[in-house]
Amino acid sequence: MIAMSRRQIFLAAAVVVLAPTLTWGAGFALFEHGNRAMAMGGAFTGLADDPSALYWNPAGTAFQLDEGVKVMAGVTFITATQDFYGDSPYPGDGYEASQEDQVFFPPHFYVVYPLGDRIALNFAMMTPFGLGTWWDEGHAGRFISKRADLKLYNMSPGIAFKVNDNVGVAVGLDYGIGQVDLTRNIGLVNPYTQQLADIGQVHIHSDDLSNDGFGWNASIHAKLAHGFSVGATYRSAIEVDFEGVGSFTQYPTGYPDFDAVVGSIIPFGQKANLTSRIEFPEYWTVGVAWTHEQWTVSGSYGAQGWSSFQSLPINFTEHPELSGEEEFNYEDVDQYRLGAEYRASDTWAFQGGLLFDNTPQPKSAMSPLLGDGDRTGISVGFSWSHGAMQTDVGYLYLMFDERGTDGTSLSNYNGRYETQANLLGASLTLRF
Amino acid sequence: MKKIVIAAAVVALVGAGTAAAQVSFARYVALGDSITAGVASGGLMQFYQERSYPGMLAQYAQANDFQQPLVSAPGLPPLLELQSFYPPAIAPSSNTPGQPVNLALARPYNNLGVPGFTIYDMLNTVGDVNNLIAGTSTEPEADLILRTPAVEVPPGSGNYVPFPAITQAIALDPTFLTMWIGNNDILGAAAYATPIDGVTMTPLAAFEAMYAAALTTLTSQTTAPMVVMTIPDVTAIPFVTTLAPYLDVPGVGRVPLIGSGFPPGSPPGPLPEDAYVTLGASSLLAQGIGIPLELGGTGIPLPEDLTVVQAQAVPGVVLRQEEVQVINARIAAMNNAIRSLANAHGIPVLDVNAFFDRIVSGHPYVVGGVDLTADFLVGGIFSYDGVHPQNIGHGIIAVELIDLVNDYYGTNIPQVNLDEVLCMGGCSNPGPPAFALSKEAVYTEEAFAQLLDLFPVRLPQVHSTRNTSTD
Repeated sequence: MIAMSRRQIFLAAAVVVLAPTLTWGAGFALFEHGNRAMAMGGAFTGLADDPSALYWNPAGTAFQLDEGVKVMAGVTFITATQDFYGDSPYPGDGYEASQEDQVFFPPHFYVVYPLGDRIALNFAMMTPFGLGTWWDEGHAGRFISKRADLKLYNMSPGIAFKVNDNVGVAVGLDYGIGQVDLTRNIGLVNPYTQQLADIGQVHIHSDDLSNDGFGWNASIHAKLAHGFSVGATYRSAIEVDFEGVGSFTQYPTGYPDFDAVVGSIIPFGQKANLTSRIEFPEYWTVGVAWTHEQWTVSGSYGAQGWSSFQSLPINFTEHPELSGEEEFNYEDVDQYRLGAEYRASDTWAFQGGLLFDNTPQPKSAMSPLLGDGDRTGISVGFSWSHGAMQTDVGYLYLMFDERGTDGTSLSNYNGRYETQANLLGASLTLRF
Repeated sequence: MKKIVIAAAVVALVGAGTAAAQVSFARYVALGDSITAGVASGGLMQFYQERSYPGMLAQYAQANDFQQPLVSAPGLPPLLELQSFYPPAIAPSSNTPGQPVNLALARPYNNLGVPGFTIYDMLNTVGDVNNLIAGTSTEPEADLILRTPAVEVPPGSGNYVPFPAITQAIALDPTFLTMWIGNNDILGAAAYATPIDGVTMTPLAAFEAMYAAALTTLTSQTTAPMVVMTIPDVTAIPFVTTLAPYLDVPGVGRVPLIGSGFPPGSPPGPLPEDAYVTLGASSLLAQGIGIPLELGGTGIPLPEDLTVVQAQAVPGVVLRQEEVQVINARIAAMNNAIRSLANAHGIPVLDVNAFFDRIVSGHPYVVGGVDLTADFLVGGIFSYDGVHPQNIGHGIIAVELIDLVNDYYGTNIPQVNLDEVLCMGGCSNPGPPAFALSKEAVYTEEAFAQLLDLFPVRLPQVHSTRNTSTD
C-alpha cells in the first residue's frame, strides 16, 4: 500500500554511478618499444638508428636505407609491485594492501623497407598502452576498482624521406585498437544490518577488437657536424570510441527482500550495452645524440598532453540511470631521458640510461584504479650482432616516488602508495 | 535504590577551572539533545551511545573517563527495528525497555545530551532519578541523564540550586565543550508537520536570547575551548522526504493522496506533487486513509496539520511547500544567530547545516567509492526513525568535528576509522536474517508515537495563531 516509487528512485540514486571513470590511463602508458632504446633510458629521439626509431623518431629510418630491409621483433616483460598504506577516515590507519602479481608483455614489431636511396616504407606495431592494476577481491578499495586493464595496439604505416645527407623527414598513420576491462564491486548499506554490504559486481569490458581510432605522426631527423644528430617527433592523440558491455553480478546478502529490491533496479545477470570514449593523448619528443668513436651519448625531452583529458562519460545505452561521469584535472607531463652506448667491438655493445618521468595524475585522483607517481628509472643493456642479425637485451628498473593522497582523495580512499617496476626484454633484428 | 548525591560535582560549581594552555580532553563535556545523546532508531541504547559523535570524539581524542548514561539493549525506549524492507515494516523491537547500566556514577555524565531538549530545557529543565526508579517519570530521558534536580551550594548550607544540563556541564569543570542544541527548537514543526511558533517551534527572539545566555554562561564559568554546531535542514530528513504524495498506479499513473486541506480550514483535496508526506502517514496509509475510494482506500483525508483532540495533540503528516519555506527560513535565521553569537565569543562553528545540505543536494558523502546519502534505510546515514543518525551518520559527523577541532585548535586528534564504522563484523555476507520477515506493514503507529515522545510540543499554546511568516 505504501507508495514505493520515491523510495525506489532513491535506491537507484544510491547506486547510480556504477561506471568507473576511464580517466586513469595515464599511468598505463608505455614507452618501452625497443629494448636497446629502453636500455638507453629511452633517450632515442635524437639517435633513432635502429627500427625502433619507428616509435621514437620515424624520420631516423631515412638514414637506415643502406642497411637493406630490416625487421625487428621483440617483447618487454613488465612486473610491478604496489603496496598501499591506508589513512583514516577510510580505509583507516594501519590498513595495508598489495597488488596481485602480474606480468605484462607488450610486443613490438617494425619493418623498414628501403625504396631506392631516399625513401623508406615503414610499418610499426607497438602497444603504447598496455598495463593494468589488480587488487585482492576483498580489499577495502574494491568499490572503486578490483581489476583494471587498458590496452592500445598501434599499427602505424608510414613513409620516411631523405631530403639530403643531413635531413630526413617522415609521416605516418596511427591506427589504434583499444581494449578496456574494469571490475569493481557495488556497495550499499544493508538496511537490516546498517552496515556496508557488497551487493554485487560490475564488470565493464570491450568485447572484441572493433573499438578503434586514428591518429598520425610526423618527425624530423637531422645529422649535424661533429657527430651530433637531433630529432623531433609528434604523435597525435588517438580517440577511440568504445562499445562495450557491462555485466552485473548480484551478491546475495542473505536478505531476500532487500536482494529483490536491489535486483529490480540493477540489471543483474544481464549484459548492458555501453558506449564510451577514450582519448589516448598526444605525445611529442625532441632529442639530441652525440657519437664519437666507440661512444654515443643521447638526451631527450618528451611531453604527453594529459591536460586535455578532463572528463569521460560511460553511457549505458538501455540503462541511462546507471551512467556516470567524473572529472579530473590531469596535468601535462614532462619526461627527461639520458642514455649512453659503448661499442666494445663489432659484436658487442653495452648501454645504460637514466630517466625521469612525471605523473599527470593529481594526488586527489590516486585510487586503486591507478595510484601513480613520478618515476625515476635506471637501465642497462647489451647488443650482440652476428652477421645480419642483432639481439638487444635491456633491463629497466623504475622507482616511483612514494606518494600519498594526503586526505584529498576524491573517492575518500586515502593513503600512500609505494610502487616499483622491473622491465626486462629482448628484441631481435634481422637484415635482408 | 537510594538517592544519588552528586557531591563531588558541587565543589566545582564554585568558580571556573584552571586555564588550559593547550586543548586538553581531560574532561570533555557534550551538551545537546537526542542526537548528542546518541539516540538512534527512536531510543537510547549503549551500542549507539558509545558510537555517538561525542563518544567518537572522546575515543579518538583519548578523553579521560568519558562517561555516558548507558542503557542496555533493547534500549530506552526499545529501539525500532526493521522487520521487513519490502514491504517496509518498522516497529519497536520489544515491549520491555533496557536498563540503565551507569546510573550510580557519582558525578554528572560527560555526555549531557538529553533527548527532546530545546535550548530552554538545556538551561532550565532538571531531572530526578527517583522518578525513574519509582516508575513515575514523565520525562524518563531527563531523569536518566540529569538525575539530580538540585544541589546544595555550598555543601551544608541548606541552599539548594537547580541542576540543569548546563549547570552540570559547568560543575564538571570541562577542559573541552561541544554544544549542539536547537534542533528541537524547530524539529517539532517537521515531526508534527505543522510550523507554529511557540508550539512546534521556539520563537526566534527567545531562541536567540537563550542561545546567547548559554554561550555567555559557558564562556564565563568555564575556560573550556568549545565548538558549537548549526541546525540541519529538518525538511530534508528521511522522515519527511521518503513518502510520495501520490500513489503510482500501474496503467493509471500518479494518483494524488487526499489531504485534509491547506491552509487549515480549507476543504479536503488532492495533495500537490511537491508536498511532503511524513513517515507518520505510513500507518494511516496502511489503513487506507488518504487513499481515494476508487483505489480501494477509505477516502478519508490525511490529517495535514496538528490538531488537538480531547487535549491530546494529534500530529499532522503533510508538509506543504509553504510550510517547508517557513521552517527553512526559521532554520536559516536560527543558524545566523548561532554563527554570529559564536563569532562574538570566538567559538568555531561546525556547520552541520551546510554539510548536510551538500549531501542532500546530490553530493553524497563518498567513502572508498561508496555513496552515503540521506536516503531512508539504504542511505547509511539515518536510523530507522528517519530522523536520527545511526552510527555511520555519527561517524561522518565525528570526522567533520575532528577536522574542525584540529584545524581551529591546532590539535592532532587522529581521524575516525570509518572502515570500522562501516564494516563492523565484516562488510560482506552479513548472514541470514536476524528476525522473521514482514508483519503487516509500515512504520507503525507505535513507532511514530515513540518518535513523537522525543519532541516537545507545548499543548496549552496549541490554539495560538498559526504563524506562517518567515520572521
